Amino acid sequence: MTRPDPSVEAGGLATAATCPYCGSDDTDREHPKGPSLCRSIYYCHGCDQPFELFR
Amino acid sequence: MAEPTPDTEGPTLCPHTEYAPGEPHPELPLTGASAIGLEAEVWEALRAVEDPEMPVSIVDLGLIYGVDVGGGTARIDLTLTYSGCPARDFILQEVAWRIEQVDGIDEVDVNLVWYPPWTVTNVTDAGREALERFGLSVST
Repeated sequence: MTRPDPSVEAGGLATAATCPYCGSDDTDREHPKGPSLCRSIYYCHGCDQPFELFR
Repeated sequence: MAEPTPDTEGPTLCPHTEYAPGEPHPELPLTGASAIGLEAEVWEALRAVEDPEMPVSIVDLGLIYGVDVGGGTARIDLTLTYSGCPARDFILQEVAWRIEQVDGIDEVDVNLVWYPPWTVTNVTDAGREALERFGLSVST
C-alpha cells in the first residue's frame, strides 16, 4: 500500500455539500480538486454515488 | 555536506492563502438586466459564451465585472474562477469573437481582472440551477 496522495489534505476546509442526485447531506469530500480547479470530488452515502461540488 | 532533511511533516497549508469562503460582493454579479441598446446587445453576446468545462453562461457564473460601450468600442472587465483556470484563453478569445460580431462594435477590449476575487456567491440563481441540472452540486 502506498501512502495517500498528499494533495488530498492540501485544499483547505471541506464545505458541506448536498448530493445533486438524491438530495442527501450525508456526504464526504474525497478530494479538494476535481476535473477542473473549481470542482471538488465528493461521495454521497445516501445513494452511494460520487459527485462533484462547484466551488 | 549536510544530508537533505527528509520531509516527514507532510503537506502544509499555504500561509499566504485564505481558505475560508468569501463574503458575497454587494454589487456582483452583474447580469446586464438593465442594459439598453447596444450595451444590451453586448450583454446578449456575452450570454452566449459558456465555460468550456460546464454548459453555463459566463454571465450566470458571475465572471463579468464590467461592460462599457461607447464610440464603437466595448470594454469588458471579467474574471475567472481561478487564476490558473485552463479555460482562460478559450473564454477570452470567445468573448472577443462574439462581441466583434455585434453590429456597431468595431473594437473590443477584453480586460482580465482579479479583484474582487470570484467566489461561488457570484453565481446567479439561473446559473446555480444550470449547474445542478448538469449534475454539479453548488456550495452554499
